[in-house]
Amino acid sequence: MVAIVDCNSFYCSCERLFQPRLHKRPVVVLSNNDGCIISRSDEARQLGIPMAGPYYMAKEVIEKHDVAVFSSNYNLYGDISRRVMETLKQIVGETNVEVYSIDESFLHLDGYSPKQLAKSARQIKETVEHWTGIPVSVGIAPTKVLSKVANRLAKKDPKKYKGVFVLDNPQTIDDALAQTAVKDIWGIGRRYAEKLESQFNLHTALALKKMNETWAGKNLGGVVGLRLWRELNGEPCIELKDQLIKKKMIACTRMFGRPVTSASEIREAVASYASRAAEKLRRQSGAAKMMEVFLVKNDHTDLYTYNPSTDALKFILPEATSATHQLINYALSLADKLFNPGSRYLKAGIILSQLVPDKEVQGNLFTQKNKPSVKLMEVMDNINWGIHKEAVHFGATGLHQKWQMKQEHRSPRYSTKWDELKTVK
Amino acid sequence: MEPEIWSSDFKGNKGFTQWEVHSANATGFGAAADDYMDKGIDLNEQLIQNKAATFFMRMNSEAMIGAGIHAGDILVIDRSLQAFNGKVVVACLNGEMMVRRLEKNFNKIRLVPDTDKLATIDVDLNGCEFFIWGVVTWVIHRVR
Repeated sequence: MVAIVDCNSFYCSCERLFQPRLHKRPVVVLSNNDGCIISRSDEARQLGIPMAGPYYMAKEVIEKHDVAVFSSNYNLYGDISRRVMETLKQIVGETNVEVYSIDESFLHLDGYSPKQLAKSARQIKETVEHWTGIPVSVGIAPTKVLSKVANRLAKKDPKKYKGVFVLDNPQTIDDALAQTAVKDIWGIGRRYAEKLESQFNLHTALALKKMNETWAGKNLGGVVGLRLWRELNGEPCIELKDQLIKKKMIACTRMFGRPVTSASEIREAVASYASRAAEKLRRQSGAAKMMEVFLVKNDHTDLYTYNPSTDALKFILPEATSATHQLINYALSLADKLFNPGSRYLKAGIILSQLVPDKEVQGNLFTQKNKPSVKLMEVMDNINWGIHKEAVHFGATGLHQKWQMKQEHRSPRYSTKWDELKTVK
Repeated sequence: MEPEIWSSDFKGNKGFTQWEVHSANATGFGAAADDYMDKGIDLNEQLIQNKAATFFMRMNSEAMIGAGIHAGDILVIDRSLQAFNGKVVVACLNGEMMVRRLEKNFNKIRLVPDTDKLATIDVDLNGCEFFIWGVVTWVIHRVR
């Protein structure tokens, strides 16, 4: 059997953990740059505040009902997420956990009797909540797709299921599928759901399950769709993924706090993103051979415009590297070529690809050996990770960084910074 | 098979290799001490039993001065421990977080400060929002 453990309104729950005053109050968390609402507590949802809606449109409701508003605090959410996943690994064993996203994990639960399953599910839920303070919902079923169905229902009716729902026999599975709309099945997009509804008159997951295999193979978009249909029919097809796959690509892209027009600010931002990407790269002991830099403008209508052929540049490095200063240099020369005076820029980004393990970097006859930079980066990382984030950084990243994104309502980084610890009386 | 929940030990820095023994490839005498080389003392091993559930907070009152907790001290808090009678805990009462000694008997809960200057709080479970956030396990106090 497979379980999915999903944190309830994860970002809001993280904020509440350190501010118990918020326990009954509606809470929302905003996206980067305080643009959209990306997490809502149950109370906020009941007020009709839409998910992913723009902040300014919900402002009236927010003020009227005294909703607590937070900018996203990814340092906090990342740390709490790590704790939740760590807890799950300690309960069911490290190899049985597949971290699916920042707030959900699949668990492999083999060899449990049905009775034990329900008990274990409750135990998992209670332990995570006790250890980390984050409320979770657990759905258990023979396949991943069905476990998602169970989880969704557990969340929808907390009084009935108390956050735990086990689909362990054909009758309960069919009942659950009958209550699930096609658009709410994991892996089916809104557009596709509309097509299934209008073309084939399929409205519930149960109806989709009852179609035959040849139909599914023909009409569900190939192998992926067929696997989904099989999963609905209780046949596990989507495997637990291997742990910690090293990324094949590392990106750092962020919005600016306001439109940026000056070349020097673009250079600062691109250098900062390059050094952030370099740090991520070194954390997985990698080196990059290819770099891409892009800048996103806005036009008069205040919308994004991005044309990959003119706003992005790729560059193959003479030798794979993870050294910040080298990557900054390359990134800046690309940024200079892209920059167009008079444009208003909203966003910049850097993508490192063609990653190789840093031990296996192939030398280039025409470039100097990289030894001193390896040592320099080691020293820099030790200082920055050990003492204080960004204690040492390159001058190119700027001192004031006025282009930084807006985070007017960010809470302290309670669990990752010594000088931002929660104070108690 | 029931899942077993066991308390984890700190899994931090176990990477201790022969190469960190600085005299391991000394060209002169191999030192007898090489055989006895330890990794050295890591404070995390002592202070953190369960990393996933351990948080740090800063005390900013003298409410527990008698228990050796001063304003400005860092508290190590383990959420996974049971809050038994007599434990020093971080408690949340009506939205406020405070450090007090927990007194639990029969149907009564009290939060007891360790100073003459503050009164004991009787927790009325029906009339207020109350829960235990975590159990204080260590205090890090800077000696001045």
